[in-house]
Amino acid sequence: MVRITGGRVYDPANGVEGVVKDICIDSAGRVVADVNGGDVRTIDATGMLVFPGGVDVHTHVAGGALNFARGLVPENQRVARKFVHTPELRAGIGGLTPTTFATGYLYAGMGWTTVNEAAVPILSAKHTHEEMHDIPIVDKSTLLLMANNELLLDLLEVGEFERAKSLVGWMLWASKTFGIKAVNPGGVAAWKWGKNANQLHQPIEGYSKVTAAQIVMDLARIVDELGLPHPMHIHQNNLGVPGNVGSTIETMNMLQGRRAHLAHLQFHAYGGQDWSTMRSGAKEVADAFMAHKNLTCDVGAILFGDAVTITADGPWQHFLHELTGRKWGNLDVENETGCGIVPYVYSDHKLVNAIQWAVGLELLLLIDDPWRVYLTTDHPNGGGFWRYPEIMRLLMDVEFRKSEVKKLPAEALNRISLPEIDRQYSISEMVIVTSAGPARALGLKQKGHLGAGADGDVTIYSAKPDSDGVMFTHPRYVLKGGKVVVEEGQIRALTEGRVFLVHPEFDPAIEDFIRPIFQKLYTLSFENYPTEMTRLKHPELVPCLLQ
Amino acid sequence: MITLTLKQPVEGVPLEAESICPDVMVTLDNAGVRALPVYFGKRQCRIDDFFTVAGEKSDEIEVHGDLKKVRWIGRGMTRGRISIDGNAGMHLGAYMKGGAIEVSGAASDWVGGEMSGGSIRVAGNAGGQIGAAYRGSPRGMTDGTIMIGGSAGLEIGMRMKRGLIIIGGPVRDFAGLEMKGGTIVLRSGAELRTGAWMQRGTIISLKPIPLLPSFLYSSSYAPTFVGVLSKQLASLGVALPFDAQAGAYQRFLGDTAVVGKGEILVWNAHAAASA
Amino acid sequence: MQKGKFVPQGRKGRTMITIDIRETPSARAADIALIIKPSKDFELGTTMRALMKGQPVDEARVAEIGLSLDTIKDLVDRMKRAKFGVIFFGMGLSMTRGKHMNSAGILNIAAEMNAFTKFVCMPMRGHGNVTGADVVLRWTTGYPFGVNLSRGYPRFNPGEFSTVDLLVRGDNDATLVLGADPGATMPQPAIEHLKKTPTIVLDPKVTHTSQLARVHFTTAVTGVSAGGTAYRMDEIPITLRPGLKSPYPTDEEIINRIIAAVARKPGWRPGPSAQMTGTA
Repeated sequence: MVRITGGRVYDPANGVEGVVKDICIDSAGRVVADVNGGDVRTIDATGMLVFPGGVDVHTHVAGGALNFARGLVPENQRVARKFVHTPELRAGIGGLTPTTFATGYLYAGMGWTTVNEAAVPILSAKHTHEEMHDIPIVDKSTLLLMANNELLLDLLEVGEFERAKSLVGWMLWASKTFGIKAVNPGGVAAWKWGKNANQLHQPIEGYSKVTAAQIVMDLARIVDELGLPHPMHIHQNNLGVPGNVGSTIETMNMLQGRRAHLAHLQFHAYGGQDWSTMRSGAKEVADAFMAHKNLTCDVGAILFGDAVTITADGPWQHFLHELTGRKWGNLDVENETGCGIVPYVYSDHKLVNAIQWAVGLELLLLIDDPWRVYLTTDHPNGGGFWRYPEIMRLLMDVEFRKSEVKKLPAEALNRISLPEIDRQYSISEMVIVTSAGPARALGLKQKGHLGAGADGDVTIYSAKPDSDGVMFTHPRYVLKGGKVVVEEGQIRALTEGRVFLVHPEFDPAIEDFIRPIFQKLYTLSFENYPTEMTRLKHPELVPCLLQ
Repeated sequence: MITLTLKQPVEGVPLEAESICPDVMVTLDNAGVRALPVYFGKRQCRIDDFFTVAGEKSDEIEVHGDLKKVRWIGRGMTRGRISIDGNAGMHLGAYMKGGAIEVSGAASDWVGGEMSGGSIRVAGNAGGQIGAAYRGSPRGMTDGTIMIGGSAGLEIGMRMKRGLIIIGGPVRDFAGLEMKGGTIVLRSGAELRTGAWMQRGTIISLKPIPLLPSFLYSSSYAPTFVGVLSKQLASLGVALPFDAQAGAYQRFLGDTAVVGKGEILVWNAHAAASA
Repeated sequence: MQKGKFVPQGRKGRTMITIDIRETPSARAADIALIIKPSKDFELGTTMRALMKGQPVDEARVAEIGLSLDTIKDLVDRMKRAKFGVIFFGMGLSMTRGKHMNSAGILNIAAEMNAFTKFVCMPMRGHGNVTGADVVLRWTTGYPFGVNLSRGYPRFNPGEFSTVDLLVRGDNDATLVLGADPGATMPQPAIEHLKKTPTIVLDPKVTHTSQLARVHFTTAVTGVSAGGTAYRMDEIPITLRPGLKSPYPTDEEIINRIIAAVARKPGWRPGPSAQMTGTA
């Protein structure tokens, strides 16, 4: 049992903004009103800020794509932060594609306690679960890639919506995942032909009817009808392309009346017509987004420095490789999806990168509702997740932000609106975009807040900046389920995180439908396809909204 | 001057001794030098577990003994001099930025790996990956000079960007692999696949060498720059022919497999220079 | 042969080309069987990369490959005209002169072909769960093989830390062999080293390596009597379902017992180690 006393608590989900109060956690690891008697550890948090643990709503940390990336960049591993084997800690490597144990240490070390792995293919879901098994401390959820699943697309092609819905339900349960991810709908299926899906209303390559638009709308409807806690999570078509503002706004319009979460919106908010006329489209995208109250988003901001782009958007990655000459890896997953890897460096000398940097910040600053926009870098696509505090500083300190803007190439200032924005994030808003908001979007009711019944995931920072004038880089304490896992920069306990999953209702007869098709189209035995529940340590079923 | 003498042979498990470095030793008194860590398998030991140590506070280091299993000597050095009277192990002068290293005997693989300045001179043979990029890195050495008196192994100068490598004896396959710039002089030729996938840079071979199909004969001439280079090399005690009376260089351009603009110059004694 | 969803004619809808130094059963089954001279794979791959880009090559040196320039041009053109191409390559490439560079050649050809059409390649891995070992090493250490942990954190350098090099040079002072038989496949200096230093073998069978080892553990056959997960050569995980009971312990049990026994020995833990400083 724990009592955190004397700290200024920020719990915006429960209307608590910088109030000095005790936070108590019972022996089951849950926040309670009070703890009495027995073994209570008291943490004196005087002069400190007390937040609910961070929630990363979109990151790539486990599974086939990430592991493929690890192999592609040994040079990154060589210079990355090392974790030395000790009696308590496993050896490992940090950096942009950290090893599994290091991933847990790094996230916990910065005060993030829940992590949403954004891309899981069904065929290799067992691999994702094996890696998550080796990521200590943090709780995890996962998103299943479906928008290029050819069994699904075949059903949508012939308008069999109900069957499609059962198929998605079956796939979720078979893969033991939590939500649905759509990446470049139709585009990755087209990439099996070497093509893409840039036009929302053109039939996908290999099909005569189904379009990207139909996939987007049908999948969103399926997710709503299955009652999944988290809306359809979408990496839209035309990622990264100058002028994709139009496509983004059209996608938002198509999602009218449905819940949806727009992933790494920064990469989808570019104006202009081509690379030389590219400009920020953040204002138009933010305006449209604010009008569509059914949507949430994470920004996927970029930070200058090294990155590794890892995405299921195979065609975009090939294009990035041809554009930049950087090395390229590509993996196709039969019938389902794929991935592309291109290591990249965002440079503050390059006009395009400067615009991208501004767009991420503009979205966070122009979207006025912090409950709907969340802080991410689409790790490791925009930059390493341990750099989130750099973005926090840019949001909270307008003087610092303006001095950073001054360093951009002069022409960039003509293409962005960041210099004119004076908004500064309050601490409460910061907690919303890094914890309370994402928890709510994920539908994890016990995360992102410190009210009674919440998980005892608490991050405690010093209220004073460090010697460089920076806040929030190193928590003083991090608690996970009421256990002190990090104290003054040292990992103190290695708890094992939970894995969230859903078991939606679907017509069990769908399995008889899938089996013969699967045997014909796949290279695996149908019996070997699903992921066994025994592979998940500490699974936790989250009920669907209708159940 | 700091003098290190190997006390007993290192024959099985290798020693990792990146603390044998002028930058590390220049501020240390004798006791400090003795206490410097070296890594013997999984164990951290002291320099004086393996070496007798004379001298202190100097960036001139002399090392005596058969150090063929002592690795990482001179790693990242920026100044001073290391003289090895004997053989040297892998990664000699890797990541070095300045200063000089001399070896009277032989060296191993990865001499001057990813170095960016300074000079390394090995009288005897060396291994492979001289001045090369470590696996996955986009570039190898970016400046500096490496001279090997004897033969060398595979992938000499792999992905080097700038700098000069001179090898006295024959080298094995893939010299200049994926080269991005700089100069490699092969005084006794090479085995197969020299210049494979090179983008830019110059490889000079004083003996005929087999070439890939993706290298095309351009001309036979006496390039002016070789005369300039020859003067520079003469000061290092290396002779490079350039006299049009004595012969000419056949110039091959490639590697067309990567639309490269590199060149391989093969010395042809007594051939007439053509326009 | 399987009819594909988009290849309804099955075998007749596919063109199979083999490239080898001799005629094999695959070559006899192929539509086009190209026989090249031994150790010319790298030259062929390089020539193909140049021709793919419309770049010139030296005809006489191409001929040394054992194929005419026209044949290789035709090969490249057929590849460009394909709707979906796959290159399978195996140890015939990665074990002959050039080794990893031969494989790099194929990877580059497949990658560069994507400028023209859909192309992928697939390395044919060795037997057993070598892909699984590669996958697990990558997620736990960051590197696929040749990993050194003696400084307390993972380091990677093929040629320095890869098995055959360690054994030939005698860089290690003990060896644990699990599911491999270096005593049968490796060069003589490596075998001598395995004999001279403590060698421990875990294997269902008594192998060549067992004969020169200090200790041999007979373990249950994974996939038959012991469970786990194997990774297919395209890195898809497959659950192993053991069907028979074995009197022998599993590899996992033996390894855990060794770890526990080592942990009881005083002074085994090396004490602090220093990371090699960054390269900046």
